[in-house]
Amino acid sequence: MIKGYAGRVLEVDLTAETFAFGPLDEDVARLYIGGKGYGTRLLYDLTEPGIDPLGPENPLIFATGPLNGSVAPQSNRFAVVCKSPLTGGIGNATCGGSFAFGMKKAGIDILLIQGRANRPLRLEVDGDAGTVRFEGAQDLWGKGTYETQKLLGKLPTKGWNHAVIGPAGENKVLYAGIVSNERIAGRTGVGAVMGSKKLKAVSVRGSRKLDMEDPDKFKEYTKEVRRIFKDHPVLGESLKRFGTGGIVNTTNGRNILPTRNFQHGHFDGAMKISGEWFEDHELKGVKTSCIHCPVTCGRDVDVEGVGRVKGPEYETLALLGSNLEVSDVKKVSEWNYHADDLGMDTISLGAVLSFAMELREKGMLDAPLSFGEVGGVTEVIQDIAHRRGVGDDLAQGTRRMSQKYGGAEFAMHVKGLELSAYDPRGSYAQGVEYATTNRGGCHVQGASMYMESTGPLTINPQSLKLKADIPVVQQNLACAINSMVLCIFTTYGMMPKAVHEMSPNSFSYKVLTTLFENSGPMLRTVMGIKGKPMMWFEKWLTYITGTPFSSGHLQEIGARIFNLERMYNLREGMSGADDTLPHRILHEPTFKGMSSGHPLDKLLPRYYKIRGWDAAGVPKPKTLERLQVRA
Amino acid sequence: MSITVELTYDMSKALGTQRFQVDAAATVADVVAQARQRFGEGAEEFQKLSRVAAIAVNGVLVNHKRGLKTALADGDTVAFVKAAAGG
Repeated sequence: MIKGYAGRVLEVDLTAETFAFGPLDEDVARLYIGGKGYGTRLLYDLTEPGIDPLGPENPLIFATGPLNGSVAPQSNRFAVVCKSPLTGGIGNATCGGSFAFGMKKAGIDILLIQGRANRPLRLEVDGDAGTVRFEGAQDLWGKGTYETQKLLGKLPTKGWNHAVIGPAGENKVLYAGIVSNERIAGRTGVGAVMGSKKLKAVSVRGSRKLDMEDPDKFKEYTKEVRRIFKDHPVLGESLKRFGTGGIVNTTNGRNILPTRNFQHGHFDGAMKISGEWFEDHELKGVKTSCIHCPVTCGRDVDVEGVGRVKGPEYETLALLGSNLEVSDVKKVSEWNYHADDLGMDTISLGAVLSFAMELREKGMLDAPLSFGEVGGVTEVIQDIAHRRGVGDDLAQGTRRMSQKYGGAEFAMHVKGLELSAYDPRGSYAQGVEYATTNRGGCHVQGASMYMESTGPLTINPQSLKLKADIPVVQQNLACAINSMVLCIFTTYGMMPKAVHEMSPNSFSYKVLTTLFENSGPMLRTVMGIKGKPMMWFEKWLTYITGTPFSSGHLQEIGARIFNLERMYNLREGMSGADDTLPHRILHEPTFKGMSSGHPLDKLLPRYYKIRGWDAAGVPKPKTLERLQVRA
Repeated sequence: MSITVELTYDMSKALGTQRFQVDAAATVADVVAQARQRFGEGAEEFQKLSRVAAIAVNGVLVNHKRGLKTALADGDTVAFVKAAAGG
């Protein structure tokens, strides 16, 4: 077995209440690493086209990678893969917390869950004993994710790590997530799939140690990385000091902070929902992290009547804050708590709420929701999770809401997945990424916005230069990162400290950004070089597995995963026509002097060409052959 | 003529306000000069805080326009923006 892997796949059949341990497919591991990549390969191979995402035939795949189970910073994430009930295409999400570590301790790389239970169940997987217990979960059904984990914490034996759903998952809210500790695999409705299987929780335990090729080098180098992180302006300073909310004022200043259902990119109340505000005011939080991560980007806050709980991240502050025109951060924190406890994605939740507010404003929907008003929101969030009244419609997501009530021109989703909190009209590469990412309108499948508009080396985000190149490189890298499985925030550390310290108003900065902006194919060539491991995650993979990994290797593997996802979506009936942006983004300007919206039509052909796809957005046979994608 | 100036959080803490209006400013350089004036004896502090902040006019960085010479019009917003990462 390749080092870094436990070597086992656990397959559980909920219908028959049976299980079997089988070997990890090493060829798949070599081609797809693990995590999202391995999970996508399994999903593609195990399912027929056109299956019901909420039917027993949709497998739910929990997948780890070779970095999981180590003490490498940011490495305790697992991926969940299935067909998405929200988009009808590839569904996946990753999650921090401790479950990934628990899976590897249990000696399980992949947990493949098939079928559907005939009663609420929870699983107890003891990796050391090689047993799976199918326990009735009627007593947990209906309980929130916090209480569920608390009750599971009282299991008679110690050392368990859990992944659970809340009422939103049980009731198949199409953007329900899966929770580990206070973190959530939020996007694409993976929690609804778990709920459709009547599976409330999975608990894992074990005592295996990760087998590495060169543990001494790994240990020594990890110490060095911790020092690099500590000294880094993002990983060691801004994320540590302000959390992810530290970007609110930046996106606001750049006019890309979603406001009033993306009608504007600037919100006057932004400061009061920012990470900096948290630091200095009554909501000052305790810093928290996933295990072994020194970044501590999480914030605990006090919510009235609840106590100290996880605070809202940037996406939540924007989608449940500025996008609803709410600057009451206590309320946003309260809604964030409810969403986490009910087990649903706050990005889709915020977007569907803002869509409902605009529908109501236009007289197209009768609901107690208005921009700038906090009243009614808490109740509607509960109604969504429990599928009551208008909440039952909102639980279906923005696309289905627009099909029922109208308003498709201001329904802010791509492929059915609601847009995250970077308005692409001021970040063109991010727009291309939203349009082409296989799971839909998501920012963490590439994070192009950091390369062009919010990071330390910003190019002109509204020129066409490099805007089709950046997403390709970033999506490939993100596919690889999500297969190791590592936190995507690690890519924020790739820009060295020296760049952060340059003045954006200096001549040298201008020279550097001009060179970058005009690098074109050079960027892809440099990233594609299969040389020595340079970045920390390349070195970790090399030291753990014994196989050399460099940027070029990761670009190739990432492209393989991305193209397989693409083939999955095409098989499910999607086409190039789905590579688009919401009408509002394409046609309504938000910048002074802007005559229209995002110029996607000018960028998409080049993106397809770089990808090796035909004009219809279909990967060419030679592209699939080059990447060894079997489809 | 009225220009809205928005400061970074650290700058606003030093000045006690996050947003202020400027009545007469033909270019971004005029705004920067007036912001510096507001810092008064803290001009050194202003220098330190503004050095790593980019400047955006209505959301567009002046680096991509005419820099400090970028002309302003009534109703424009000039923001000092720091680099940041979220998620």
